Amino acid sequence: MLTFNSIKELIKSLDWSKDLLSEMFEKRNSFSYKYEMALEILEEDRIEKLIEKEVLRRNGAFLEIDEKYLQFFELVLEVNEQVSTAFIHENIQHVKESINYYLKENGSDKQYSYLKVIKSSLQKIGRITHRSIIDLNRNIENTFKTEPTYKVKIAKLENFDIKRKDIEFLIQQTEKLVTEEELTFFKAALDEELKRITNSLRIKLNEGRHNLIETQKQIINYLNQIKQQSEFIEKIRQIKYLRDQFELKSKTNFLEVLSNNNSVIFEPKSSYPLKLSIDYLQTDEAYQSILKISKKFTNGHKNIALAEAIEDFYLVTETEEEIFINLEEVKNGFMASGNNLYDFVQSYRFPKDVSFEERLTFFCQMISQYENEFNIADTYNKKNEIEFVMVYPKNN
Amino acid sequence: MNIPQTGEIFEILSKGQFISSNSADHNLRKLYDIINDENNFDELCDYFQAINFILERGDEYFFFSKSEIKAELDRKIEIAYKWIDILDFLKAYDNSFGSNFRFDYSHMAGQIGRDVNLKDKLEGLRKYTGEGSYLERIKNLVGLLVKEGLVELENEITNQYKVVASFGYMERLVNSINIPNELQNEIPQ
Repeated sequence: MLTFNSIKELIKSLDWSKDLLSEMFEKRNSFSYKYEMALEILEEDRIEKLIEKEVLRRNGAFLEIDEKYLQFFELVLEVNEQVSTAFIHENIQHVKESINYYLKENGSDKQYSYLKVIKSSLQKIGRITHRSIIDLNRNIENTFKTEPTYKVKIAKLENFDIKRKDIEFLIQQTEKLVTEEELTFFKAALDEELKRITNSLRIKLNEGRHNLIETQKQIINYLNQIKQQSEFIEKIRQIKYLRDQFELKSKTNFLEVLSNNNSVIFEPKSSYPLKLSIDYLQTDEAYQSILKISKKFTNGHKNIALAEAIEDFYLVTETEEEIFINLEEVKNGFMASGNNLYDFVQSYRFPKDVSFEERLTFFCQMISQYENEFNIADTYNKKNEIEFVMVYPKNN
Repeated sequence: MNIPQTGEIFEILSKGQFISSNSADHNLRKLYDIINDENNFDELCDYFQAINFILERGDEYFFFSKSEIKAELDRKIEIAYKWIDILDFLKAYDNSFGSNFRFDYSHMAGQIGRDVNLKDKLEGLRKYTGEGSYLERIKNLVGLLVKEGLVELENEITNQYKVVASFGYMERLVNSINIPNELQNEIPQ
């Protein structure tokens, strides 16, 4: 394995490979970078050199930035996707070890170098804690907004909550370290800068703790929202199922809900037609509208299909005459005649031809109709095989 | 009465539409703020009460109801069925389809080509969307949502639509239907 011999060489190499590295770094999350793609940007021997120095790593047909460099870039550029708590933990351990060495060491030179390490580690803890919290918040928000799968989204958010607890625990650890555990050291090492660093660390940790409370709230809020959404999706699925099975009305309170709901949304769209004022109708503005409407009106008339003229023969009236016998008139004639009814009817001159049978019918009809005005005798007479009662007009 | 926008508010709400806080239309947002002002709200409530409309406050939206409406129960059922079908489709398209959600119908139509389940649900919406290509049917569906004041065109160039707060009304309607526990167990997963 070849490594860089000096920082100068490293920076120089990064300089000539900056186009490729920045391109690969930008695309690190979106897709796998192919070796051929890299060839478009940089010559092959240079790519090989980077692979030799383990800046790049070849993985089949793909090329990726080595984990060390990737982490370094992410850390420095403050864009890391992963929130790592191990780093803080490591630093705490480092501080503890250094304090231990410091207290055991007698030589002030050595003590001074340990003190330097402690100071730098403490500063680092503050910075990384701060950074981690920012990363955590950003990741939570990104996950909530972009993760399409529900179950993964929930699992990720729950994991972030664990991370949050980890960070909180480390903050506690650090505070304990500064205020309780290594009291001897902090009292013994009378260094102004150390004091300043510890103070600023404590302020940072305090801020961090407050931020984490906010983060916790956010996670709970997001989880609730997701829960609500997924609950609703389950609900609509069930309701749709019942609706498709025609069971919604009978098995749920659907009808009750609707009868109690009087929102205007259920009403047919109402319009409120208003009569125009006479004054307005007399203005020029209204005149144009009237013209338009009148045009529509006459157009409408034209379209009505007219019926054809009625044929003359339908209009000629036809009359049919029928002669009715007025029995009243016959009766009056009879009353004046003094003859008996049978003979009278037989000899009566009706306005039309009347057969013998019809005359008999009239005879019977008249008796039944004017019984009270006739004198019906007990005597009978017989003519043409017909026996009939003798009827005379009643004499008043 | 010194709220000059009363007529405008009435015009929108009496059609059964909504006024939402996150409306894409600046004017509607302004109307929302006017109604949302406590003093105005009481005054408007009294005013509309006198002409038989009840001004109701939802979660970030306003709408009208009445103490008694002309709509028959059958009509209400038809409308509720329509919303159940449409909500079922929209939630299948995207689980987070709700207030503040943004979409464009070409994406929606594209999604239908890829998702059999979604396609099946869209077929079930023929009654409301009419016939035609997926894109045309989606356009009709979106038109329906726009007409009811549930989504609004936010960007004319990209054809991006935004779901406004009033969408919550439909969700509330569905949520208010209570499915007995024993029945829930009978519904297949």
